[in-house]
Amino acid sequence: MVVSVRSWVANEGGKHFVLILWLGVNTWLFISSFLLYFTGQEYHYLYKMLGLGLCISRASASVLNLNCSLVLLPMCRSLVTFVRGTRTISSRKTRRLLDKCKTFHVACGVAICIFSVMHVSAHLVNVVRFSVRYSDDFPALNLARYRGEDPMLIILTTIPGVTGVLLVLILFLMFISSSYCVRMSNYEIFWYTHNLFIVFYVILMMHMVGGALKYQTNVEAHPPGCFRANQSSTEQQGDELDTSEEEERRCSEDAHFQPHYPQTWLWVSGPLCLYCVERFYRYIQSRDPVTIVTVIRHPCDVVELRMLKKNFKARPGQYILLNCPGVSSFENHPFTLTMCPTENKETLGIHLRVVGDWTERFTQLLLPEPRIDMEILPMAQQRRYPKVYVDGPFGGPSEEVFNYDVSLCVAGGIGVTPFACVLRALLDGWMGFRLQRLYFVWVCKELQSFYWFAELLCALHHKLWNENRPDYFNVKLYISQPDSLQILRTPPTRGRCFTDREKLQRSLKCSCWHITLRAQPQHVFQTVPLNRLTQLCPALVAFKLDTTLL
Amino acid sequence: MGKIEWAMWANEQALASGLILLTGGIVGVAGQFRGWQFAAYAVAAGVFVCLLEYPRSKRAKGTSVERTGQYCFTVCVKAFGPLTRNYYVRAFLHAAICVPGGFMLATVLGCVCLGIASLIYLAAAIRGEHWEPILPRKEIRKPVGESIKNPPQNPPPRPPPEMRRKQAGDLEKSAYDNPMSVTDDE
Repeated sequence: MVVSVRSWVANEGGKHFVLILWLGVNTWLFISSFLLYFTGQEYHYLYKMLGLGLCISRASASVLNLNCSLVLLPMCRSLVTFVRGTRTISSRKTRRLLDKCKTFHVACGVAICIFSVMHVSAHLVNVVRFSVRYSDDFPALNLARYRGEDPMLIILTTIPGVTGVLLVLILFLMFISSSYCVRMSNYEIFWYTHNLFIVFYVILMMHMVGGALKYQTNVEAHPPGCFRANQSSTEQQGDELDTSEEEERRCSEDAHFQPHYPQTWLWVSGPLCLYCVERFYRYIQSRDPVTIVTVIRHPCDVVELRMLKKNFKARPGQYILLNCPGVSSFENHPFTLTMCPTENKETLGIHLRVVGDWTERFTQLLLPEPRIDMEILPMAQQRRYPKVYVDGPFGGPSEEVFNYDVSLCVAGGIGVTPFACVLRALLDGWMGFRLQRLYFVWVCKELQSFYWFAELLCALHHKLWNENRPDYFNVKLYISQPDSLQILRTPPTRGRCFTDREKLQRSLKCSCWHITLRAQPQHVFQTVPLNRLTQLCPALVAFKLDTTLL
Repeated sequence: MGKIEWAMWANEQALASGLILLTGGIVGVAGQFRGWQFAAYAVAAGVFVCLLEYPRSKRAKGTSVERTGQYCFTVCVKAFGPLTRNYYVRAFLHAAICVPGGFMLATVLGCVCLGIASLIYLAAAIRGEHWEPILPRKEIRKPVGESIKNPPQNPPPRPPPEMRRKQAGDLEKSAYDNPMSVTDDE
C-alpha cells in the first residue's frame, strides 16, 4: 500500500524535523569552531605548532559540550510528564514528539561517543606534536617541558590528560553496558554503570582546568607573522624591503598567551542542576509510604496490587516506579497503572506479571505460602505487607487514546495494562471525550490470561449496548497457542475469540480498510514487540498507520 | 544483584577492547610512530581477542541470542575444550595480552579497556560461571512404545450378559468384581 506524502508528513514529519534541526546545530557548531581555529589570528602560532589536530579537537569539543548538555534533558521524567499534561502544548503532533524522548537521549549519547573518539584521537596527535614541535620561540605556548618529552608522561602529569583518560574509561563502561543484550539480560549492570554519569559530569567540569591550549591576547600589537626587531632571518638579509613596509611588519611587543577560560560548565551546569532538582523532588514525593489494600492472584502468574497513597493524581495510561526495600533497596521497577484514583475511589492498582527475581521475591513477600503446620486463621490478622514506595506517575503515549476520533489499541499479553486503565475510564464516563470509536485487539498466549480483565471488558460492553452505542467498543481477542481451547465456555468471549492467524489478518485488514475509507484522524497504539506482531499480522505493518510503540 | 551474569558483560567489553586495540595498532603502524612494533603486536592481539570473544556463551537462565554468523567461531572455540571454557584462563590471558599495549600511546586505551574486561572475567570466574557453546538443538523424537504397533486383538474379559444387564431392583446383585485389576496403582 502506498502511503501518501501528506500522511507521511503528518506522522513522521515532526520527528525528522527535530532530527534535522539537531544535526544542523551540531554541524554549524563543528564548522564554526573549526574555522575559528583554522583562520583565527589569535590561534595562528598554536595552529602552526599543532596543525589540523587543533581544529578537529576543538570543533569536536564544542559539539561534545552541546550534546552533554542535551543528553540530560529527556531524562527529566517529571518535567516531561508535566509538559505532556498541561495544555500549553495543544497540538497532538507536538505532544507525540515527547514519546521519542528516549530515542533522542540515545541519539545524543551515540553522538557523544563518536565525537569523543574524534576528540581523543585529535588530542593524541596534538600531544605528540607538542612534544616533537617544541617551540623555542614561544615557550609559553608549550605543553611539554622539553623537546621530545614522552607523550605518555605529558598525558599523565597534566590535569586535562588525567581527567581525559578517566572520562574515556567511564564513557567506555557506560556505552558497553547500555548495549541491547546487556540491558535485556542484566538490567542492573546497565543501571549501576549508567549512574556513573554523575562522576562523568564532575570530572568533565574539571577537564579544562590547567589550560593546555592558549590563545594570543595581543594580536594588534603583535600581528602573527611579524618580524622581530632583535632577530633577523636569512630572508630579511637577502631581500630589499622598503623601510616603511619593514616598519609596519615589525612587532611592537612579544606575543602574550593566555589559556582559555573553561566553558564546559556554562553548557552543562544548567541541565545538570535541573536533573538534580528533579531527582530530589521525586525522592521527596516518593518518601510517603503507600498502604497496600488488596492483593489478588490471577491466573498465568499475574498478581494485582491495590494501594492507597495521599495526594496521588494520575491519568489513564501513566506508569509508576515501585521500590520495595524488602526486596532490593536500589531497584525501581516500572508498572503501568491499571486503576487510577478517581473522585469516588482513591485506590490505585497495578497488575504485575511474575517474571524474574524481583517480581518473584516481591510476590513471595505479598502472598507468603501458607504454612501447613499453622491452623487456618483469618487472613487479615496474619497479613503483614512489605513497605512499598511509589514514584511517579509518569506519562506515556497511551494517554492520547482519547484525543483521536478512532483509536486502534493492540496489546500482547500483559501489555494490556495501559488499555485496562483506559477502559476503566470509559466505564466511568465515555461521553466527554473526542473518541468516537475504539478498536481493541488483545493477543495472549493462553486462554486464562483473558480472565485478568474479563469482567472489565464485559461490563464496558454491556454498558455501551445499554446506552445504545454498540459500535463504540469493538473487541477482538486472539490466542497464539490454541491448545487450551477446550476450556472456552463463557459466552462473551466465545464469539470473539479467534485462533486462526489468517482470521486475525483478515479482520485487521477489514478494520483497517474501514478506517481508511472513513478518513478520520486515527491512531494505533501497540504494546507488543514489533517482530512478534509482524509474525502474527503482517497486514498491520503493511498498512503503516500512525503507530506509537510503547 | 544476586543473579547477574557477569560473563555476558565481560564478553561485550572484551570484544570492544579488541576492536579498539586493533584500531590503535593500525594507526600506530600506519603512522610509523616511535615504538611501532608494539602497534604491530597490538594488531595481532586485537584480531586474536576479537576471534576469541565473538561467539557468545549460552546463558544459564533465559534465551541466548547469538551474534550473526557465530557458528563457525563457536566450533573453533569449543575445540580448545577447558582452555576456553574456563573463565580464569580467559581472565589471565586477557591480562597478559593487554600489558604490551601499554607501552605505546596509540594502543594504551585498548590496553586499559582489555584490563577492565579481564577483571570482570575474573569476577565471573569466581562466581563459578563458564562458557557454554550455543549449538543448534537436535530434535529428539520420543521413542514410540512397542505396544502401539500391536493393538490388542480381543476385548477385555467381561462377565456373561445376564449378569451385565442392570437389575434395577437389586443393585447388589448386579455389581460384579473385575477378574483383572483395572487400576494403575499396582
